[in-house]
Amino acid sequence: MFEGFHSVLRLAGLKVGVGEWLTVTQALDTGLIGPSLKEFYSTTRALVCRDEADYDKFDQAFAAYFQGAQLPTPVAQMLQSWLDNPLSKPPLSPEELAALPQYDLEQLRKLYEERLKEQTERHDGGSHWIGTGGTSPFGQGGEHPSGMRVGEGASGRGQAIATARARRFRNYRDDVVLDTRQLAVAVRRLRRLERKSRRLELDMPETIRKTAANGGDIEIVERPERRNQARVVLMLDAGGSMDPHVRSVQAFFSAMKQGGGLREVEAFYFHNCVYGEVYSDMALLKKKPLAELTRSVPPNTNLVMVGDAWMAPRELFSPYGSIEYGTTDEVPGIDRLRDLAAAFPKRVWLNPIPENYWGESTIRAVAEVIPMFPMTVEGMVAAVQVLLGRGERVAKRTPKRPWPSPQEIF
Amino acid sequence: MSISSQSSLPAWTGTPSYIADESLQAIVNVAIGLGRPLLVKGEPGTGKTLLAYAVAEGLKLPLLTWHIKSTTRAQDGLYLYDTVARLNDSRFGDNNVRDIAQYIKLGPLGEAFERSQKGERVVLLIDEIDKADIEFPNDLLHELDAMRFTIAETGREIRASLRPIVLITSNAEKELPDAFLRRCVFHYIEFPEETQLARICRVHHPDVDEKLLAAALRRFVQIRAVQDLRKKPTTSELIDWLASLRLSGIDAAKLEATLPFAGVLLKQENDAQRVFRATLPRR
Repeated sequence: MFEGFHSVLRLAGLKVGVGEWLTVTQALDTGLIGPSLKEFYSTTRALVCRDEADYDKFDQAFAAYFQGAQLPTPVAQMLQSWLDNPLSKPPLSPEELAALPQYDLEQLRKLYEERLKEQTERHDGGSHWIGTGGTSPFGQGGEHPSGMRVGEGASGRGQAIATARARRFRNYRDDVVLDTRQLAVAVRRLRRLERKSRRLELDMPETIRKTAANGGDIEIVERPERRNQARVVLMLDAGGSMDPHVRSVQAFFSAMKQGGGLREVEAFYFHNCVYGEVYSDMALLKKKPLAELTRSVPPNTNLVMVGDAWMAPRELFSPYGSIEYGTTDEVPGIDRLRDLAAAFPKRVWLNPIPENYWGESTIRAVAEVIPMFPMTVEGMVAAVQVLLGRGERVAKRTPKRPWPSPQEIF
Repeated sequence: MSISSQSSLPAWTGTPSYIADESLQAIVNVAIGLGRPLLVKGEPGTGKTLLAYAVAEGLKLPLLTWHIKSTTRAQDGLYLYDTVARLNDSRFGDNNVRDIAQYIKLGPLGEAFERSQKGERVVLLIDEIDKADIEFPNDLLHELDAMRFTIAETGREIRASLRPIVLITSNAEKELPDAFLRRCVFHYIEFPEETQLARICRVHHPDVDEKLLAAALRRFVQIRAVQDLRKKPTTSELIDWLASLRLSGIDAAKLEATLPFAGVLLKQENDAQRVFRATLPRR
């Protein structure tokens, strides 16, 4: 029954082994699954999915198999990612609404295509790009009076195929940018448990041994509880190009601080690139020399950089490259990064820019010094593996030509 | 396998106080039929834990619960050997310290097996399995598969003859190992839709004024739709809120422009402000 569905499920990226599929057929054979398609949908999903992140893949496969729906193209997926989790719309007065330009459908479609060509990332709350919660004529949840809605909305429920087509579980896919809780789970894996706590617990084997040696007179032995000894030095880019990513960085930061149960989390800020000094506040006022940080690094310390690593080449490669007022450093940023890399054997860089946009930019150059991961759940899990010394960072694409030296550029 | 999983159990269809949609009913029955643990995930307040109580009540079976904490080990679920009590008894000469069996205390999983050995079928709830150590679920694999274990200290084997119905809840704090997931039937409880919410509310407030219920539900759905709430209000909070509204005798029309007892629904200052900004009319 349902020949080929198994392969469609696997095509959609679900790890359905022979065992799982046999269970499904067994359940069908023994009549455990009723004759309705809806029941088949929900029970099969319960048997082949292992996580709600799989539900979306299952929905796609189900719709593809039973209704010939198309598996989504990368462009459509990218566009949809700009529209997920929309910003709440701004309340506009009637006058403000009237002031927005009106378009007819033809104009609108033309504009839309032009804009799609120009746009390379997500936008919220603006008036121009395709995005959410703004006054641009394109996107979702916006306020434009004659705008165009982009992407699928909620579809009718009840029938299994309609449910599958609605793809309500898209939010649970694990390649989307992280939320705090999922992140904390990833961070928790960094732990290094050691008996160094001040709190004591009963040491049963030792108590028994001592008691026996004592001729049966009970002697209680205590030992320190196991505590997480992992430390993290966090360095966050507070530059202007990071503004669109503020929310994901905030989520990341709070997960690191609270969720991870780490022994110590120290945060520093920098602007675009690290130079001779970093800052312990976001306004970049309280300076701390980089040399002080790299001089003595306690064991079990992980360096986690967060930034887009996206800057003008001179900011990275040339002496006095900083564009921040009042910061002068004759050492090029890339060498400062190399200093950091030398001081912190355990280091990663998390980049909120999706990996396929890294291209041949300063991002690649930075990634060669500090292993770089996209700031998604998947990326975070892989980054933690590298910090634990269990994984190697394999870059998706290697630069076709070596990076130019500063002399070549300037 | 010699352990029978299909007995003459009737199909589970929910209980008067626990409303389960058709797909959840089907999944529960498939899990029971296949004799596999049912792993339930979902937002807080969607009734993950209550599902176990409802399954036990609906099938009229006893329920054993095992609440997992960060320090729980798999062994704790099978049995505990109370060495300290034995040591203490040996010192004061109480009891017969040679009889080790009296210092063995079965854990919830062990008890479920023992009762089923005697022919009694039970429902076992393993609550919040993700609270424990990452390796915890793997340590349970063998016992859940074979449905038997041996008490090393006495050599006694406990072997289930009827598969207990095992329900496991998880809040996704930790990822569960693949080998464990492969043996489970998985279900993610979605947040109920408005009509389902209304049914749930009527179960808890049978004589609620329909106008008030409709107005409260409209507000509730509106609040949950506000973006970026740190903690979205859940079903149980809705039920409490409805109770407060009824106790204070607030008129349904008033809910349009105000949000009385906001603290019952929104537990964080930021969330409350966000909701006020997004849903209350601008002054």
